[in-house]
Amino acid sequence: MFKKLSVVMLSSMLLFTLTACGSGNNGAANGTNASSTAAAGDPTAKPASVEKKVIKILHWKQENINKAIEEINKKFEEKYPEYKVEYTTTGPDDEYKQAQRARITAGDVDILADLSGMRLSPKEWTPGAKVPDWQQWIDSGLIADLSDQPFVKNYNANDISKAGTYNGKVYALPTGKVAMSGFFYNKEIFEQNGLAVPTTWTEFIKALDTIKSKNIIPIVVAGKDVWPLKLPVFGLQAKILGGGDQEKWIEGVWKGETKYNDKEAVEVLDKMKTLQDKYIIEGFMGIDYATAPSIFATGKAAMIADGTWDAPTIATANPDLKFGFFPIPATEDAAKNKSLVGKYDVTWYAAEKGPNKEGAIKWLEFFSEPENYSAYVQAAGFLPTQDNIQTNSEFIDKELSPYLTGGFELAYEILMINRDNVGEHLAAEGVHTEYLAPGGEFKTAKELADVQQKEWEAAAPK
Amino acid sequence: MYPFGKGISRFVPFLLLLIPLALYVMFYFGPSVMTVIYSFTNITNVPGNGMKFIGLDNYHDVFFSGNSGERVDSIIRTLYFMFIVTVVQNGVALLVAVIINQKLKGDYFFRSVFFLPVVLGVAVVALVWSMMFDPLSGPVNQLYNALFGYKDMFFGSFTHAFRYIIFVQIWMYMGYSMLIFLAGLQSVPKELYEAGYIDGTTKWQSFRHITFSLIAPSFTVNMLLSIIGAMSTFDIILATTDGRFNTRTMAYDVYKETFRGSLEMGLPSALSVVQFLIILVFVIVAVKQMRKREVEY
Repeated sequence: MFKKLSVVMLSSMLLFTLTACGSGNNGAANGTNASSTAAAGDPTAKPASVEKKVIKILHWKQENINKAIEEINKKFEEKYPEYKVEYTTTGPDDEYKQAQRARITAGDVDILADLSGMRLSPKEWTPGAKVPDWQQWIDSGLIADLSDQPFVKNYNANDISKAGTYNGKVYALPTGKVAMSGFFYNKEIFEQNGLAVPTTWTEFIKALDTIKSKNIIPIVVAGKDVWPLKLPVFGLQAKILGGGDQEKWIEGVWKGETKYNDKEAVEVLDKMKTLQDKYIIEGFMGIDYATAPSIFATGKAAMIADGTWDAPTIATANPDLKFGFFPIPATEDAAKNKSLVGKYDVTWYAAEKGPNKEGAIKWLEFFSEPENYSAYVQAAGFLPTQDNIQTNSEFIDKELSPYLTGGFELAYEILMINRDNVGEHLAAEGVHTEYLAPGGEFKTAKELADVQQKEWEAAAPK
Repeated sequence: MYPFGKGISRFVPFLLLLIPLALYVMFYFGPSVMTVIYSFTNITNVPGNGMKFIGLDNYHDVFFSGNSGERVDSIIRTLYFMFIVTVVQNGVALLVAVIINQKLKGDYFFRSVFFLPVVLGVAVVALVWSMMFDPLSGPVNQLYNALFGYKDMFFGSFTHAFRYIIFVQIWMYMGYSMLIFLAGLQSVPKELYEAGYIDGTTKWQSFRHITFSLIAPSFTVNMLLSIIGAMSTFDIILATTDGRFNTRTMAYDVYKETFRGSLEMGLPSALSVVQFLIILVFVIVAVKQMRKREVEY
């Protein structure tokens, strides 16, 4: 009796798992058919309710943006009652990447977001460089071509071509950009010490010396997380490398024409070393990213190196604080220093083989309407990629817009195409000034630069 | 003789054991073998990309590619970590266990206190110590400053971060070793001490010759657990420094290459095979040595 029972149980469990797998595969293989037939002629459905077509959107968790998109989804469903939006969010970074890969290959998503636009695509001069995920997807026909969609024209042509175009076709909508190569500064401290916003490196150092002599911490940077240290470096790199054309310099590095230890690259490290040695808060290598804004907001430090996305955090930490933002004055040429360096953020793709491509296009069209788009940009705190958008943010309109007329350069980490197995002093598309003394082991910028060049050459494809 | 009777039904226990065996093969042994196989291929985790056998290329990459110097550093750092953790953790645990075993008042309280970090889990422990070691407002830095006029960067220091991680690891798992030692200590028969007392042994002699000999099995277990545990530690590193500031170990490298690196699976597989072999060598040597001194009474 007992044996029979267990046999029955076992076999039924096996059967269950088998059928579960089977149906899953089925759904993935002909997702469009399955869902459309279900919608059209499912006899068990109640006759009164109209079957809705589902639009599946995949995104990562970021509260303010999530809320704005849920708002848009609600309005979308009101306008188009035949659709239902299924908006899924996962944890950011790695977890999101896993979800992205799984859902796009299974054909289980209609719209998916990507960080930072379409970056790091290998060129003919980068032998052996990795093909990024988005490019693999487009090459295997998983991403819808948006070139002929009228709503693409809502966006700034320059932004679309920089962050949404591949092989002459538009595949993505970059929904906003962020600037990160500058400093938030405490307006009161600047005024009290008779300081103006510095426009050249010499003026900058003078201002820092004045602040330091008054026993105020000049700059706070969250060094423990390492990446915040890269933010001022991005500004230095964009203005100094290749005489202001870092793309040319990066190409040169691959071709062996420019080097990590040439004059310009050492100048970048050297300037950052000056800041780290004298002007950045003592013990910055122990300060984590969550703590840094509070040090600035309480008025202990005159400046903080941070991305523009953190303006709401600073404002929340001290609502009375009057602060502004200026790009790092990397060179002696004030005109050259006037523009910001940054990156594109949330970028939408529509899936070609998703269950509901037509719905995805419709959603993107709805999203791109200036009214919906501006609500989104305001919530996200991004610099808009559509023209003539009111951000209703005093910070963006007053503090950032003077620096946006002169163009917007992409940061080194977005433009750099790294070699496989490159050493830790160059890994993750950065130049890692945390290795400079006093925190790190390198006494001078040149020493670190030499090691970087050695590591770069060691990683060359054989 | 056969609890399940005679004839065919005596095979029932074996049939029942087949279920865990199948699960074990499917979810543990199988994947382990696959890892070894993967380490000889160029497999990626992009579906449909296929795989090709490329011989020892991955192993070559582990030791001779552009950043392999960092991997060698990781291996040396892992051995250093293992050595310090094994020695200090077991030393402190034995001391604490012997003291608690003196039947002093409130021994259950002390046991719980020392065992608590094990229960807390890595994330909580890392958070607690990150706050304690906060360079700006953490109590430890204030103490340092008050006592020695010295300040440290703790988890943000290239030279010290790894030592603080070792400290946290020992702090966290010391209670675990202590508990095993306590169990061992309580199995030592009292008559032996009494006999020793009659023979006029000193405290040290009775510890050295009675206690230390008879708890050898707990010693073996503890050494093994801390060697294997220390060599495969990555969680506490992930939670405190995320591998920055010279704190990467072998296990952390495997994690990082697999889940945060590229889509390639071959190289991380080769890395984990190397890690496994190194651990295996140390475990075999340690077990042989430890077994020698286990005595029966």
